[in-house]
Amino acid sequence: MADKNPQEAAASPESMRTTEPGLKRLFLTLSVLFSFILGFPFLWKSVEIYRSEISLMETNPSLSFPFHFQALFFNFNPDLNPHHLKLSILDQITKLTSDSPPQCGTNNNLTTLSVTLHSNKSHCTHDTNFYPCGANAISAVDFDSADEDVDELLSSVFRGKNIYTVAVVNGGGDGIRVVVGKYRHAWIVGGFDFEEEEDLASRVAEIFVKVFVNGGRDQGLIHGEFMPVGADGRIVLSFNLLNAEPNDWVYDWDFQRIDESVLAPIMEVLGPIANISVESQVLYHTPKSSFSYWDEKQNSYIFNTKDLPFFVNSNEWHLDTSIAAGGRSKILQFVVYVPSAKECPLRLQLPNGEISKTNGFISPMWGGAIVLNPRSCLKDFESKQPQRHIMSPEDLQEVFEVFLGQFRQLFGLKSDNIYVGESGTFHLLPSERGFTEWELDVLSRQHTCFNLHSCVTTLESLSRLVQSLPRMIIMDEIGKQVQLSLEAAKLAQSNASQGVYESSAVSSRQARSLAEDAFFHPSIMSVSYYSFEHCFAVYSPFFLPVLMHVLLAAVREWRRYKKEKAKYLAWKKIK
Amino acid sequence: MANRVLSLLIVCQVLYSTIAFGSVLDIEKEDEEFSEELLLKPLPDRKVLAHFHFQSTAPPSTSFGRHHHLFPKPISQLVKKFRVKEMELSFTQGRWRYEQWGGFDPISSNNAKPPGVELWAVFDVPQSQVDASWKNLTHALSGLFCASINFLESSTTYSSPELAFRPDLGNLRYGTLPREAVCTENLTPWLKLLPCRDKAGLSALMDRPSIYRGFYHSQRLHLTLTGSGLEELDSGIVLEQTLTVVLQPSSWRTGKSYVDKAHSQPSWSISSIFGRKVGGKCVLAKSSNVYLQFEKGLVGELKNLQKENANPETNKLASKVFLSNLSFDLSVNPDKVFEEVDDFHSKSTSILYEFSVEKYNGSHPLDLGLTWKIPVVWSCQQAPLHASRFLMGSGNERGAIAIYLRSTELSEGLKKSDIVDQSCELRVNVFQVVPWYIKVYYHTLQVFVNQQSRAVADIMEKIHVSPSKDKTSPGVMELILKFPCGLESAALNLEFDKGFLHIDEYPPDANQGFDIPAAVISYPDFHASMHFSEDGSLDKSPMFSKFQEKSLVLSYTEILLVPLTTPDFSMPYNVITITCTVFALYFGSLLNVLQKRVGEEERFLKNNAGRKTGRLSQLLSKFSTKLRGKPREPQPSTAVSSSFVSFKLILKILLVAGIAICWQYYFG
Repeated sequence: MADKNPQEAAASPESMRTTEPGLKRLFLTLSVLFSFILGFPFLWKSVEIYRSEISLMETNPSLSFPFHFQALFFNFNPDLNPHHLKLSILDQITKLTSDSPPQCGTNNNLTTLSVTLHSNKSHCTHDTNFYPCGANAISAVDFDSADEDVDELLSSVFRGKNIYTVAVVNGGGDGIRVVVGKYRHAWIVGGFDFEEEEDLASRVAEIFVKVFVNGGRDQGLIHGEFMPVGADGRIVLSFNLLNAEPNDWVYDWDFQRIDESVLAPIMEVLGPIANISVESQVLYHTPKSSFSYWDEKQNSYIFNTKDLPFFVNSNEWHLDTSIAAGGRSKILQFVVYVPSAKECPLRLQLPNGEISKTNGFISPMWGGAIVLNPRSCLKDFESKQPQRHIMSPEDLQEVFEVFLGQFRQLFGLKSDNIYVGESGTFHLLPSERGFTEWELDVLSRQHTCFNLHSCVTTLESLSRLVQSLPRMIIMDEIGKQVQLSLEAAKLAQSNASQGVYESSAVSSRQARSLAEDAFFHPSIMSVSYYSFEHCFAVYSPFFLPVLMHVLLAAVREWRRYKKEKAKYLAWKKIK
Repeated sequence: MANRVLSLLIVCQVLYSTIAFGSVLDIEKEDEEFSEELLLKPLPDRKVLAHFHFQSTAPPSTSFGRHHHLFPKPISQLVKKFRVKEMELSFTQGRWRYEQWGGFDPISSNNAKPPGVELWAVFDVPQSQVDASWKNLTHALSGLFCASINFLESSTTYSSPELAFRPDLGNLRYGTLPREAVCTENLTPWLKLLPCRDKAGLSALMDRPSIYRGFYHSQRLHLTLTGSGLEELDSGIVLEQTLTVVLQPSSWRTGKSYVDKAHSQPSWSISSIFGRKVGGKCVLAKSSNVYLQFEKGLVGELKNLQKENANPETNKLASKVFLSNLSFDLSVNPDKVFEEVDDFHSKSTSILYEFSVEKYNGSHPLDLGLTWKIPVVWSCQQAPLHASRFLMGSGNERGAIAIYLRSTELSEGLKKSDIVDQSCELRVNVFQVVPWYIKVYYHTLQVFVNQQSRAVADIMEKIHVSPSKDKTSPGVMELILKFPCGLESAALNLEFDKGFLHIDEYPPDANQGFDIPAAVISYPDFHASMHFSEDGSLDKSPMFSKFQEKSLVLSYTEILLVPLTTPDFSMPYNVITITCTVFALYFGSLLNVLQKRVGEEERFLKNNAGRKTGRLSQLLSKFSTKLRGKPREPQPSTAVSSSFVSFKLILKILLVAGIAICWQYYFG
């Protein structure tokens, strides 16, 4: 052994080899590995969950309605320049609209204003306007008559036009009197100085913006975005007469008559905004769930505004009308609460310590409640039978006047007929049908806005939901509904900017209901229970062992090839 | 002549005017009404039946479904929306014991219901829309009563009987949920429909723990449209809500004088069975009464006892008014006593005591109590046949349903009285719904009369079978059978195969078994009705006017529980895992084979053998020798050892396989 050639010893199989190592097996294992890796995308595709494309473009819910205003000035100095006046009014309007919320506002580019100046009977100047001089001129004398007559007269002149008019009449009494009519007109009567041009402009602009555009609502009373209208455009007014303790007295009402005489006209007027239906019931044994205390000074039981959240006793008051309403109708509950003898005259104390005149309150998006105290709070302890009363027509009339006010408040309108603006108080003429024309305009604009806003929020939450659940199946239908909803919303926007209120309201309603349809689509509930963990549990018994084999084989083969190659190279070197 | 004509004219006018006046009055007077009644009845097996009956009526009006004063608005809206003509919904817990509690009175034929939920409804819509209306109705009711009535929506759960179940009603749909658990969450919405809920009146007695402690509890809602029904405006609704409970009075004032405890009736009072007293009526109720009824058998028994004990003079007096104090005591004097007017001319009639709640109030509550002085034993009036149903066969493959009808006293009486009449026969209707996974072979119907097999055609008058369709509709069998009067027992036998459900269709508790709804057995020739005294004062009571109506005598059989083959629910996962493992093994070995170099490995092994073995293997061999207790042998050459090892290995594998086979053979 000792004489062995070192070269030969080195050529032993442990350290050297004479032939080049074969690539066959390495190639085989590597190809298996690669085909395995290539197969993964296919597998991934096969366990993928079907998700329809939901195109959620960034929608901007802001709407801009065009407004057409006209201001008529009577008995003013002919030196007054209508153009100058117009510019200053427009300036004021811009100032006032700038601090109103951005959505559902006026668009200053779309606002048109015309100014007509009647200095006296012979002289008249106007710029481009809807009411040219000389055409059926209104004399200043007319404005001295009763407000209703003036209103009718103005409406007969401007009938059928979608223009908001403010007439300013110089002369007359000492103070300045502002009246807003039932239609789309307002007038200002008073003695004006000629230097007060700026003041005049601000008054006119305030009527335009605060009353005709914003509906004379107080900011912060009810947020303007909420409209108590269901997604299907229906409102169910559910009237409930609650007898807290029928053992003391039982009240009943003839609702049928009220329905026909009082509620039917209102329902008709609100027709374009919502489809309203009315129902009523009488409930018994329905105590309120808040406490009241005896107040000597008022000689009655008092409940505070602090107690109002607990007044409605949802355990005992079975107000639901789920069967008739169904779907996505909005139910507004109106409650007449007849207190028991224990708490008999029951009055609501306002935070300032006064007793509420209406003795009622509203809860936004829920409805309103009124406490109706019996005329005499003395219980007849002698008779076993409780006293049965039918509410007198006068009582009913009173109650329904309050309800009408509450209903208006639920829509965000004022319940009294005085508006206190920056430049004095405005008298608002009430309509016998509950809502004036300009208020209905405001409501339909607001309704459109509300619909679009809720459509956008619904779609946003849908997209958030879809993104948060990656294993959720999304059918084509949902994608289609979203698409249609967005289209309808766009249509509503374009209609609104052209001033077509009705069709804009219709398509906005459609947009909202489609969005809700998509959100509440039954298939969206079928979140796939085939979660990722599940997938892993099913496939791992196959892929883990196989992959281990394949990987190990490839690695081993590769290492062996490197080793053998090194041996071969070493041999080659020596050689 | 002229005079006569004139007088006739006058008469006509008077008549006309009175009619006109009457109708005007009717329109003005008709108002929504509500009444409440409670019937208490001692039962032969020491229990007490309490039957609450509340009735609300809404007259026909234009504001139907919109404006209501007393009538529950949800119900009228439901009726209006789904155009329901008649509907009955019952929630029941426990089984009505026909043998002990009676099967021939209006209460048992109207208020004994199968356990769980039973719903049937008649719709006033075209034939094609009935199913859609039914589905919507089930959902609405499900929401209204907090129950899973919406499971009746599936077409596999409801059927449309034509022959044997209320055949004269038309567009009828019938469905049951035998396994629905009934509890307070169903009672509360039911109470909500009452104007006083459970705040006042008789419903205030419904103390939940005592009601649900009872042996039987059935809460029922039945509504019918009144009026012509031709126009929508022309129909009012009658809503009848009943709660029937059978309670066990706790041994109140344990009788000292009783010797025989088993026969002694327990004394009870309203406060002892309900835990509450009647604190006045619901002020909105038109009438509010509590009745105590002693049925025929009991009255007869009491009369017999009196005859034994008392002298004839008092007996005469007692039989007139039946206010005897010899056998029992009433804690409150009844306002009125009524005696049943019986058509059967049997020797005794049932007796009814009326207690008006009007007089009582919170400080002076009504607590009616009944104290027995002597033990009484009697039995209730039975339906013509006693029906029971059971399963036959074993295993998970097939079985048979048997309906067994056994004669009771009534049919025996019939047999005796009509023995002269040769054409005497007893008609029985059977209505049976079977879920689709119980595949009934209707041709296997066998009839046994008095334990002798009879041809089906002899017994059958009419048959209507709609076989089940897999996963779409249940099987319905309606039979009108005609038995001879001398019937002692009859049995109907039907064979079935048990079907397989898809793995998704099994309920979570599949191993509990599947329910076959109760069969309805009715006797078209028998009607249960109760007429009390002729003075007509009870006619105003809605409960008794209901009892006076002729109601079909019907009884429900037991619910059957069929165990079906349940699959191993983890099977799909096991299959997946096993297949995957096999695949993995295959892949692994294939790759191994592919990359193996046989020549090189042999060379490697040879080299290893030539070299010193590793420390670990040395240690291992030392350890094994120690275990064997043999001196350590020098290692044999590798070639020999390898062949030796492989031989040993094969031997071991064979041994294990043999043990496995034996195990499989003897214990598998």
